Amino acid sequence: MNCETCQLKELELEAREIRDVLRCILHTIFFHRTLSLVRPKDVDCEFFEITYCGLPELEKEVDEKIDQFIGWAEKHPNRRSQVCLSFFDEKNKHPGWFGNKTERIYWEQWFINLHVISPKRYSKSNSSKGLTNIGGNALEEISSRRAALESSIHEVLFQIINFANEKRDHIPAIPDTFNHDIMIPSFSDSVFGWNTDVLRRVLNSGHPYSL
Amino acid sequence: MSGMSDSAGGRAGAELMVEQFHLKVLHAVLAVRAPRTLASAVPAASFRRRDRWFHLPLHDPPPQPGAAERLEALAPGEPLVVDVHLAPAGGGGVGGEVVERWTVACEPWPDAAGEGLAVNRSYKHCFTLLRSVYAVLRLLPAYRVFRLLCANQSYNYEMGHRVGSFAEPFSRAEESAMRSHRFVPVETQLGRLVVSVQYLPSLAAFNLEITSLSPSMIIPDYVGSPVAEPMRAFPASLTEAMGSAFRPSYQQQRPHSWAPPALWPHALLQQAKFSPPPVLYASPTPSPPNFPCGYPQSRLMRGVSAPMSIPQMGERSPVHRQNTLDPSRGFMLPPPSPRRVGETGPVGAQESPSESSWLIGRMEGLRMADPYASSSPRHKGKDSKDESGRFSALSSCDSPRQDDLDDIDYPFVVDDVDTPVSQPGSSDGKEVGDRAGSSSHKSQDAQVGSLVNLLRNARPLRDPSYSSQTSRAESSEVAPTSSVMSRRTSDALEELQSFKEIRERLLSRSSAKHQEPPEKP
Repeated sequence: MNCETCQLKELELEAREIRDVLRCILHTIFFHRTLSLVRPKDVDCEFFEITYCGLPELEKEVDEKIDQFIGWAEKHPNRRSQVCLSFFDEKNKHPGWFGNKTERIYWEQWFINLHVISPKRYSKSNSSKGLTNIGGNALEEISSRRAALESSIHEVLFQIINFANEKRDHIPAIPDTFNHDIMIPSFSDSVFGWNTDVLRRVLNSGHPYSL
Repeated sequence: MSGMSDSAGGRAGAELMVEQFHLKVLHAVLAVRAPRTLASAVPAASFRRRDRWFHLPLHDPPPQPGAAERLEALAPGEPLVVDVHLAPAGGGGVGGEVVERWTVACEPWPDAAGEGLAVNRSYKHCFTLLRSVYAVLRLLPAYRVFRLLCANQSYNYEMGHRVGSFAEPFSRAEESAMRSHRFVPVETQLGRLVVSVQYLPSLAAFNLEITSLSPSMIIPDYVGSPVAEPMRAFPASLTEAMGSAFRPSYQQQRPHSWAPPALWPHALLQQAKFSPPPVLYASPTPSPPNFPCGYPQSRLMRGVSAPMSIPQMGERSPVHRQNTLDPSRGFMLPPPSPRRVGETGPVGAQESPSESSWLIGRMEGLRMADPYASSSPRHKGKDSKDESGRFSALSSCDSPRQDDLDDIDYPFVVDDVDTPVSQPGSSDGKEVGDRAGSSSHKSQDAQVGSLVNLLRNARPLRDPSYSSQTSRAESSEVAPTSSVMSRRTSDALEELQSFKEIRERLLSRSSAKHQEPPEKP
């Protein structure tokens, strides 16, 4: 079974919007891929007029990962990054003397592309417009930027919906619980970022990996 | 339902699945497109088995029977169309414009192409499709309008829906204004399950605004804030609870007992004219009284200016009712002259109980009104010395409501001092009253004494042996009782005891300051 991957449209956002955006996207993906009995709750975004379907049972885990990512983004400002949500099956590998070794078979991966920009970079562009206009122009640009981001988030959500419906045959049998993994950039990453971790895992799993 | 994913199911299973899918989509659409008030929201109940179709139970109200019946009338391949429209409020849907059109259909195979399709596979695919419908319903602009209308029914538009198998085609202009989204269909044995939606990308043109305030709830027995309506009389139902002892004037600005203590210190000095400072009259019960008319207690908890809690008939001694004051007279000390008592004889003989209560209340208020009181009214008693001889905010040690007083300290509002309320003499030998003094010296102790004397000589409220009870009260400790009748008397006794103590303290203070012997009548 091939691993289906989906590269979501890149979103340019500020650090304070990370939580809203990632919660919205991750929960939407989980909602579409959690085929066991779910009781979603409607969650309103804080900065956007978007309501998504949240899964309470995953709230804690998602928030923890988001916190880690926010911490990473603070130390790596103005960088493009990815958060990867992977779904996999675990299968027992060859039983060994020291116990069974499980093997992860990834069947789907979602790449959430983010470009976290610094607000300072944004406000500098207004400095030449005069003190009297800074406030008003800044507010205008903030609202237009946010409106554009909201529109982009809508696009991403519809992208998720379309992909989730187009690619359905590879989904394994509905389990009681599904295995997943949320990967964020590592603090030790330099040039390659988290990709090294992903590649290492894929190589260890023996699963053909396609991007 | 989970069995659908395991068994072949056959055509019957496919038909059932398609039917349930239609119903589920209809349910999902109407759940977030049929505005309802929050009050009418049905609390979430446990899911029924049939709610678990497609592993997505929906707690929201199911479609109305009429809507569901239309599903049964659908012919194979006939679409289910749900139009969501916005129409001017109050028009019954006339003049509405369709803002969304949901279409669910199972397009039959032209041939037997779907015969080999497994039902469980189709069923699983329906899971994802239904979730997508569920998510998109919340992403479209109509969802925001739905939320607004649920929160407030007073908008100039109302949202309605039409369910059927046929919908009037859009005009070219309407079609061009709308966007459409077609979900990836699910292949079943019967055909392709197709869900699509046409929607207006923006509803700003409707200019939603609230046309009127929500209908006011008329509170027939509302007792407003004395600050706002100082001259408003209390409703008759409350006055009945208080009995005829109260004069109407007292009912206008009765201080309440439940104001937060933080407001009392300055409230006493600042609010005398307009609203009664918070008053905590000595009540035997630690909790707010239960009004017979069902007057909600919460209305009393409005702060400093809320009316005093009104005791239920029979649960309060007249003394407590008498503690209601006339704050309109201001925050002043009573006059020292005891003439009134002498003039009228025993108070009870000629004055109504309400007047007695008023005077008693004034005495109580004196305890609060002392500008020389140390630090705050919270200061409890015995060590608080007043240079002027006035009352200080003495302790509540004699008040039955010890717990309340412990919390919010001293309760009483001081009223007008212009009206003479006491005179010496004609005492029955009690110390307090005898010491009220006929002195013309404008001392607070004299005033208190006169008041005490007045109390002592007051007409028995209920019990003919009231005077004897008061004598017993000198040495008796205050203790709250649950008996209605004994409570009234005990309340009076407690009050009297407290007066005595006040008197004694003031006298001692006065003597310490002025080095004058206490006056004796």
